[in-house]
Amino acid sequence: MLFISSTAWSQNIAVCTDSLVGFIQGQDSRQRTEKLPLPGATVYIRELAKGAVADANGRFQITGLCPGIYTLDYQFIGYKTVARTIHVPLSDTMIASATLLAENVTLNEVVVTEHRSEAQQLLQTQTSLSGAALDQTRGQSLGESLKSLTGLYSIQSGPSISKPVIHGLYSNRIIILNNGIRQEDQQWGTEHAPQVDQFLASRLTVIKGAASIRYGSDAIGGVILVEPKAMPEQPGINGEVNVVGATNGRMGVASGMLEGAFGKKLPGLSWRLQGTVKRSGYVRTPNYFLENTSYHENNFSGDIHYDHGPWGAEVFYSQFDTKIGLFTGAQVGSLADLYAAISRSEPLSKPGFSYTLDRPYQDVQHDLLKVRAYLRTNQGGTLTATFARQQNTRREYDYVSFSGSLNPELYLKLVTHTADLVWEHSSIKNGGGGVWSGSAGFNGITQGNVRQYLFLIPNFRNYGAGLFAIERYAAGRWTVEGGLRYDYRWLRAYFLNEATKQTYYTTHDWTNANGSLGAAYQFHSNLTLTANLSTAWRAPNVADLYSNGLHQSAVAYETGNPNLQPEQAYNGNLVLAYTGKRLSGEIGVYNNLIHNYIYLKPDSVPIIRQRGAFPSYSYAQVQATFRGIDATITYKLTDQLTLTTKNSLLFAYNQTDHDYLVFIPPNRSDNTLRYDWSRWGGLSNLYVSVSGLYVARQNRAPAVTSRQENGNVIFTGDFASPPSAYFLLGAEFGFTAPLGSQSMSVILSGTNLANVAYRDYLNRFRYFADEPGRNISLKVRVPFSVLTRS
Amino acid sequence: MQSISKALWIILAVSLLTGACKNDEQNVAPTDDNEAITTAILSLTNATNAQDVVTATIENLNATAPDFTKATLNLKANATYSGVVQLYDKTQTPTLDATAEIREKANEHLFIYTPSATSLLTVTLTDKDTNPAPGPYPIGLTFSLKAGPIATGKLNVRLRHQPGAKNGTATPGTDDLNVDYSVIIQ
Repeated sequence: MLFISSTAWSQNIAVCTDSLVGFIQGQDSRQRTEKLPLPGATVYIRELAKGAVADANGRFQITGLCPGIYTLDYQFIGYKTVARTIHVPLSDTMIASATLLAENVTLNEVVVTEHRSEAQQLLQTQTSLSGAALDQTRGQSLGESLKSLTGLYSIQSGPSISKPVIHGLYSNRIIILNNGIRQEDQQWGTEHAPQVDQFLASRLTVIKGAASIRYGSDAIGGVILVEPKAMPEQPGINGEVNVVGATNGRMGVASGMLEGAFGKKLPGLSWRLQGTVKRSGYVRTPNYFLENTSYHENNFSGDIHYDHGPWGAEVFYSQFDTKIGLFTGAQVGSLADLYAAISRSEPLSKPGFSYTLDRPYQDVQHDLLKVRAYLRTNQGGTLTATFARQQNTRREYDYVSFSGSLNPELYLKLVTHTADLVWEHSSIKNGGGGVWSGSAGFNGITQGNVRQYLFLIPNFRNYGAGLFAIERYAAGRWTVEGGLRYDYRWLRAYFLNEATKQTYYTTHDWTNANGSLGAAYQFHSNLTLTANLSTAWRAPNVADLYSNGLHQSAVAYETGNPNLQPEQAYNGNLVLAYTGKRLSGEIGVYNNLIHNYIYLKPDSVPIIRQRGAFPSYSYAQVQATFRGIDATITYKLTDQLTLTTKNSLLFAYNQTDHDYLVFIPPNRSDNTLRYDWSRWGGLSNLYVSVSGLYVARQNRAPAVTSRQENGNVIFTGDFASPPSAYFLLGAEFGFTAPLGSQSMSVILSGTNLANVAYRDYLNRFRYFADEPGRNISLKVRVPFSVLTRS
Repeated sequence: MQSISKALWIILAVSLLTGACKNDEQNVAPTDDNEAITTAILSLTNATNAQDVVTATIENLNATAPDFTKATLNLKANATYSGVVQLYDKTQTPTLDATAEIREKANEHLFIYTPSATSLLTVTLTDKDTNPAPGPYPIGLTFSLKAGPIATGKLNVRLRHQPGAKNGTATPGTDDLNVDYSVIIQ
């Protein structure tokens, strides 16, 4: 299991490069027997809510630690938990071994799996953001936060809508697991951002590459896990306040959290309440404000856990409510407007700053109710049942010209019910010192969608069911993992015959089986090679099949294709991870071959509507390849000074038409130089860093061609060539300061410090305006205690 | 196992409470565009003969195939006409007269009439909005059209929506309407 933890955490934050290694051993408490390794025992860092699992030799490793003082919990079933405080100095590998004493009674109350990241059970390329690295991204949207990881990008519609992209794939090809629940928020839309409160997470884990086996069909590109921190166990009430202020957009964010446990009065019961408010006004590019780019967000959530002996239950509810102003300069009525806007170097309307939020805007609510229960036994393993209901209500308001209508142009309500049953069997040790571990389960989903006003996608009902099994064997330097999954999907779309007012429907169903195989080999304690082969599939979604309408914001008439076949992906990747005293890094290569890749293909004849001729696109299928390299390398120049380089290269190609694919992230290189002090006056964990982000011009894009059609100029490929390469300068300064018995964290950061005017290929509004200019933000996190142990 | 069955009962109860079995999707709402313009009519009255009225109509502008069969203006060479444009949304019941609503919001709308070739005819807008100085600006709901010599060509009609930005030119704002009429001058 050592291999996994090193893959999972070596990318954490490049500038925090300390690591913790050690052995966890067990000893019978009464007879002074010899100490034996405890494979499967866990070590957990309370402050960072992260941990590792001991391998077959009882050895564990946690990398990517910032210097500081941490409390470690060592745990294993049948052994007394050991808590230990350690001081991790600068630039070092700390040894933190522990010996656990066997409990004399048969235990059934040890919580082990709760602390582990769910994704850790998988031997797949992963990268994650937690602790200080996550704090640095507070206040940003999920899509923006993840951009600091290699292989991740984001597709934007103006400054406030950002969708994560993994290895060139996005929307329905990525699954977002919000608190363990598959997020269903009309994610097919390029301008539909994930409805997730980033402050809920204590860790964002990204599985790069096809990960369908465990998480279900559709995960051709990868999976993003938004994981909250573990519930409190100590009695008392504690809380945390996060405040973020930023100059650009004059943005303010406040997020508060309160949690508690009852201790002896009501053992096993714990709770948490959390809420976030965010406001931003017009975002400013170096030369002008972007009209109507204001943003409102109000979220809250509540969580109750009850753990009693071998079983436990959880009820979680969250609501995410956002109102997003769309940049008015990107609103075009017709193709003629679009060409006029593209030909202008700056938007026509350049107002002053304002917090006003008017049409056009999106108003979206996402509600999630989750109920989870588990039963854990020593022999039988852990059985977890989860049920969730999500409701996503989306209203999109366009400009109204003459009607004065208060109705939205688009209304979609999607209600999703999911039910999951997962059994994780207890580890089985064989004679040769190897350990078998694994899980099997069922995933069920049903969705109902209701639309009103304009037609973009039809009403539908779908059902999906999946069965999976994953088994892993770890022995010595090897870990091998295999998985199998079977899926069934059923979809019925409902339409109205406008002439007869009769409802009619069409029905599809699909089945598919997929598998994965992975292996990790540890050459020596610092060097691990992991290889994975996996398949994944995605049934065409309702937008692919039945879109039919003018997509005003995209200035395109999009037509679905009911005859689409499921996409089938074959994904291979290889990751080499090294953790040395000065040098550490991770280099990964991947190849994702997708049969029946669904994309919008330009038609030859434009469509005429009241606002003139529009280019028309139909959904088509090709064979596509996505190949790339992700490389993170960290080198300590001195004990204080660290250089980190993060590079993501991606090559995507349409093999059927021998052409490039549109909207593929260009190559990028992010380089940071960071200086750390452990202490200065009363402050600790001080650092200052300077970073330079270089994003190349996307030269691998379809050629932009134009032709005359009935007096209209029609472009194909794209409306404009990809923008030039750009270089952005950033800097950051952070520290923690004592505050009573706690410590508050302060981060001051600046982005685009040189105030460069640039445009990004992955921003759908790049035809109309520049990207945001200089931004200085201050992030403060203050933990507090209301009631301590009484 | 008692506790697991308890947990399953909780799940069942919650799923029933949250109404897992509604079938709202089977009631399909009709497609409804807040601002559809289905019909655009140009009516031209000969200045020297009030009986000589030329009308051209484009129908089904929001549907799958717009109807251009009645969209031809047959004009007399060198004649002058006074013109009126009418826009309707026939998807609403009763039919919505978009022209009336545009007249109410005249300060943010402008019609642009563009002949091709330019020698085909000339259009002069004859109405004014109430924009403050440097306004008022023309609206274009009424206009005067002077036909050129014998020729055929096109007349493009655009309705510009220019909230807070109307300055008498076509540049600001977005298109609400952008259609071509055929023109035959005899």
